[in-house]
Parts: sequence; C-alpha cells; structure tokens
Amino acid sequence: MATLQFREALREAMTEEMERDDDIFLIGEEVAEYDGAYKVSKGMLDQFGHDRVIDSPISELGFAGLGIGAAMNGLRPIVEFMTFNFSFVAFDQVINNAPNIRYMSGGQFDIPIVFRGPNGAAGQLGATHSNSTEALYSNFPGLKVVSPSIPDDGKGLLKTAIRDDDPVVFLESELMYGMKREVSEESDYTIPLGSARVAREGDDVTIVAHSKSYHIAMDAAEQLEEKGYEAEVIDPRTIKPLDIETIVESVVKTNRLVVVDESNPFTSVASEITHQVQDRAFDYLDAPILRVTAPDTPAPYAPNLMDEYMPGADETVDKCLRVMYAQ
Amino acid sequence: MAVPIEMPKLSDTMEEGVLSAWLVDEGEEVSSGDVLAQVETDKATMDLEAFDEGVLLKQVIAEGDAVPIGELIAVIGEPGEDISDLVGDAGGDGAATAEPEPETEGEAEEEPSESAPEPEPEVEAEPAPEPSGDGQLSEREPEPVPAGTDAEGRRIKASPLARRIAQEHDVELAKVDGSGPEGRIVRRDVEAWIEEEEAAPEPAAEPSPEPTPEPAVEEPTYAMPDEEAAFEREDISQMRKTIARRLAESKYSAPHYYLTVDIDVEMAVDLREDLNELAEEQGRAKISFNDLITKACALSLHDHPYVNAAYRPDEGEIHKHNRVHIGIAVAIDEGLITPVIRDADRKGLSELARETKALAERARNRDLEPQEFEGATFTTSNLGMFGIEEFTAIINPPNSAILAIGEIRDTPVVEDGEVVPGKCMKVTLSCDHRVVDGAKGAAFLDTVKSYLEEPMNLLL
Repeated sequence: MATLQFREALREAMTEEMERDDDIFLIGEEVAEYDGAYKVSKGMLDQFGHDRVIDSPISELGFAGLGIGAAMNGLRPIVEFMTFNFSFVAFDQVINNAPNIRYMSGGQFDIPIVFRGPNGAAGQLGATHSNSTEALYSNFPGLKVVSPSIPDDGKGLLKTAIRDDDPVVFLESELMYGMKREVSEESDYTIPLGSARVAREGDDVTIVAHSKSYHIAMDAAEQLEEKGYEAEVIDPRTIKPLDIETIVESVVKTNRLVVVDESNPFTSVASEITHQVQDRAFDYLDAPILRVTAPDTPAPYAPNLMDEYMPGADETVDKCLRVMYAQ
Repeated sequence: MAVPIEMPKLSDTMEEGVLSAWLVDEGEEVSSGDVLAQVETDKATMDLEAFDEGVLLKQVIAEGDAVPIGELIAVIGEPGEDISDLVGDAGGDGAATAEPEPETEGEAEEEPSESAPEPEPEVEAEPAPEPSGDGQLSEREPEPVPAGTDAEGRRIKASPLARRIAQEHDVELAKVDGSGPEGRIVRRDVEAWIEEEEAAPEPAAEPSPEPTPEPAVEEPTYAMPDEEAAFEREDISQMRKTIARRLAESKYSAPHYYLTVDIDVEMAVDLREDLNELAEEQGRAKISFNDLITKACALSLHDHPYVNAAYRPDEGEIHKHNRVHIGIAVAIDEGLITPVIRDADRKGLSELARETKALAERARNRDLEPQEFEGATFTTSNLGMFGIEEFTAIINPPNSAILAIGEIRDTPVVEDGEVVPGKCMKVTLSCDHRVVDGAKGAAFLDTVKSYLEEPMNLLL
C-alpha cells in the first residue's frame, strides 16, 4: 500500500492505462502545459507528449464532440471537464451522442470514452459552480456513472472506466483531490463497475452514501457508535449500474435506511435508491427511509449559509436515530 | 418458431370469447386455414382458423373458458419445440408432442439435493421461507387486506416489518401498543408482545363467549323443502353480457324520450293480403307486416337525417348516415340479436321479405357473420305478435332512435263522422335527445304514419 493523494491515484490510473494502450489520450482545458487545473495530470505532458495530452480551447461542446468522434474511430479518449458544471455546455454531446450512438448504429460503434472531472459543491463557488450531476447523467440510458469516495477506489475504478467500451461519466471532487489515503500497489489494480463497498458493518441502521457524502456517513457512524448503535455504511461507488443487491441485503438485516447524498433532493440518487429499496424490501422496513441532502434551492455563496446548505454528520446522526425510533 | 394463437376480435363489440370447442387436439398437425376451434362471442359462434402450418403444441385454455381478446389460447410450432417462454409456467406439462421429457421441469427435479450447506444466500436467490424479520429477502406474502383497525375502527399504523412479523406469529396488531411516532407499531413492539406472551403462563384468556342458548321461541315453520337451493345458478353468457353492457350504456348516456302514434293500418293490411296472393302465385317469399314497416321506416329515414344518425361525442361530431341500414331485433333462445338489412330503402318489398326471413333464421341458429349484425343506422323492435299493444324500447347504440311496434288491433275508428270497425297499430319511437329533438322525432313518425296509411307509396 502506498499513501497517495486522490489526484495522484487518478494520475496513476491514467498513466498506467496510457502506458498500456497507445490509443488512449487525454484532452481538456489546461490538462497539458498547466498540469491540469487541479494538477491531476501533472507531468503527463512530459511523459506522453502533445499528441496524447492535449490542451483544448475553452470549448466543451467542441472537444467533447471531438472525443466522441475519436472514439468512433477507434481511439479511447479521456475528456477532462475542468468541472462538471462546464459539462452543461457540452450537454448534447454527453447525453445525446455518447450514449446513443451504439444503440442507433445497431452496435456498429463502440464509444470507449471517459468524461471526468470534479463534480458537486466545493465551498464558496456560488450556485453555478456547485452543481451535482450524478442524478442527471444517471437518467440517460447508455451512460455509466462512477463517483468514488477514496483514492484507492478512484484508481481502481478509473482504470476500469478507461477500459470500458461504453461512455463513462467519472465524477471526482475538488475537495477530495488532496485527500491522502492508502492506495493498492497491486499491479493492474482494477475494481469492477457496479459493485458497492461495505465500508463498515453494523446491525442497527444502514447508511448509503457516495463521494463526499460517504465521509459524512462515516463520521456519523462513529458518533452513533458512541451512542451504542452500529451503523452499516455502504458506498455504492458506481451510481449506474447501481449495486442495489448489496444495499438491499443490508436493509434486510438492519430494517432501516438513511441515504446521504449532497445533491439537491428532487429526483436524486437518494430518491432512486429509496424507490428501489422499498420496492425490493418493503416488508423488511421498520421505518420510512430518510434522506440527508442539500435543500431544493441553488447553492448559496455566504459561508454560513453554505454550512447550512450542505449535508452534515449531525443531521445524518439525527435521521439515523429517527429511523431507529431512538429519539 | 412457435407461433402463439391469441383470442381474436371477432366482432365490433366483442371483449372476450368463450372457447366452446377444440377441433384439433394437442399434437395434431394443422395447416393454414384449418379450423382449430369454435369460439363463442357475444353475437355468434365462430370458427377460429389457423394461419400457420405446424403442430398444435398446446391448448392453453380449456373448453368453456372465457378469455379477453389478445389472450394466449394456443401455440402452434414444430414438434418438440420448447414453448415454455410462450406459455410460462403453464407450459411445463405442455409437451403435447410426446417428448420424453419437458426440459424445463425435468432438470429441477433431477438435481440431487446437496447435503453441503447452502452458500451464503444471495439476495436474488430462490426465496427461502425464512420466518423472522431480519433474515433474508424472501417473497412478499400478501398483506391482510384491508389493514386492521383498532377497537374504535381506526386504521392500525404499523411498519411493514412489524406487520410481517405479526403475521408470521399470528399476533393481532390491535392488541399491540405502538411506540413509534403517532403510535406506529414497530418491530420492537411486536417482538416485545411475543416475548411477553411466551413468558406469561397459559393465559387465562377470556373464555370465548359461549353461544348463549337460544331462548325457546316458537319458530313459525315454513315448509321450505330441505336441501333445496334458493336459486339455480347460471353463468352469464357472452350474449347476455353484451346486451347488459350495451343497453345499460345506452340508457345511461342517451337521454331517451318517447313518442307514440296510432296508425290506421287498414289499407296496409289489405295491400299485404293482395301482395301475398301475388307472391304465392309467383312462388316468392311472403311479405310480413313487419316488412312493410321496415320499408316505411327506410323511406322515411331519407327525409329525416337526424333520426338516421349517430351521436359521437368523442369525435365532437354527429354522423348523419348517407345509407339506411335497418336493424331488426330478433328474439332467440339465448337472448336477442339485431340482424341488419343493408340499404333497406333501395330494396323492394319482396327482397326485404326474403332477406329478413333468411337473416332471422340464421340469427336463431347463431350463424350470423359479424357483418350481418353490425352497422345498423336505425332499429325496429316488434312485440305485436305477443299481443303487446305498445311499449318503449331502448335505443340500440350508436343509433339515435328505435321504433317499438305494437300489435295490430281491431278497433272502432271514425270515418266520415261514422264509427266503423278499423285496424290500428301503435308504434313508439324512442329518441336520443342529444340528436333528435321532439319536433324532429314527431315529424319522422308522421312520415312513417303517412307511408303506412297510404301504403301504395311503399311500392313506388
């Protein structure tokens, strides 16, 4: 095990894959000369040269489309959005072309492309730079959506995403790029898409959370332990395909579920998990499923409001106690 | 490639059909055009033909079964073909073709039951009948419906899990106190109740109230024959269902009103006698009085387009029919059917007579083809032969009127100021007020009356 920052783990994944397969290239704003806006691609220009690490103009729609065209012609692009807030100007390419071309061409074209970059709120960035896009992209059939919470998962999942023959939206976080954790040094370390990780076992309540919310869930689980309750924490890691079996198995054991998801609540990943669990495990629920989410408003700028806006461990503990009828 | 045979739509109004007889057995070869079975619809018994070649692999429904349009009733295919995906569970035993073993079921049985412990149960694995609440996910048992109520009749609030545990342990939720919000019964409440019950000594439960002895009251004894059922059961036939549905729909949606007129039919009766003498000489069909009425209505409808119309609210339109097709209600053993004389206004009396007679005959034998009882633009119903003086009929949708015909009766009439014996007939027009207003209905009846009172016009 090596201790790496999240950005380093992602860089290792890309570097290893690009060494392995000459068809892979990285394109995005500032990915080459500037080493990436968040230094994820640091040093990659030196190693791979301008043909494979390409600075694009500020034109998301253009370079996302370029990536899809390249994928149709046999290359395996990694398209970096400086943040996923900017993916919205490339929306048609990401949601209409990438996921539909295989289907509409009757399987003639693979689209082995990864769209990656930071997603979600990251402090005082204001409403337009704080969007969570996982529910949005998961809604479109044909897109896979990955959202890791720790560097080790980041590395293993990004390598799998790059090898996948279908478009994958890979959601990172500005706030987690500097996070240092142990990362496997196993050679060719990959983690399959669609497999959740049970991060902590417990019998009293299940907490499902991905990306930054996962860390909130783990904090909450520790607070609950001090109160004498054992929470089971599950990180789905891949939003789509969703490993609902692992979640249901846990709910069948604990009979209670709280979903932490920092997105806005309406038609969110939390909504979907809630639906699927009640559908599959209705008779095992001893309480309504509760969610911890951002409110249904644009993200504020003021720091005190932002603190209120984002989900937190206290709120998570509170909702867990409620579903356990322990209040 | 196995071909599913589904219940076809054999008439406009058909919603389901009864498979009255299979004419091909399972395993028999069929080719296109062969009659597979007879299907009783709301109107007639019809042949179900095969459109494909092959072997009848499976009769999915039994003789006498009623299924809605589109439901699978049979499968045709190659001998030995696996049709389990078509017929689902029912298909397991379906291998009509003397196949040694139907693959689908055979395997499951032959699998030796392993003595080794089962691997960790997977969520999607076969549900094991695990009784308790925190076992594995198993098939959902149907909940008792409706949800229980407490002594005051309020719905008992309980979590799904609590209900399930209660059901498994025969716990009456009404006896359990709920500790959740608003008194919701949750798992721990049911478990606590079960624990208490088990701990408690054999409960000196309230003795179930013994039936208090009946006070000795002298019951009056009606000598109802013992063991005799109070009524005989009869399945509602397809035809009766259709009559019920269509007539209820008509009375429900079409505001009916009724106009009765007494018609002097002396001359028409004489005319008919003359015509029938001729018909007999020429070996033609005899003309019934009803044929004269059919003809009179057909000619009158020409001048009264709203009576020959249909109210079509879904389309926002009234359809005034350019052609005149008259339905004639015919009583048959099973109920009622209205064969249709097409273009009755353009047919001579002899032709009308011949056609009406033939259609009525076929109706009684239930041999009518759909096109022979569909598409009426106006209908008549005659109960005169039963001595009914006058009656009101229910409009045959989507018609906008129906004429109810009473008996021809001998009655005094006033002629040139003198009371003389005469022959009269009352007819009652039921109108759909959405299309035919009172004056329009009356004008139509007046035309019918004038045709019948001066019947030579019927011949022109």
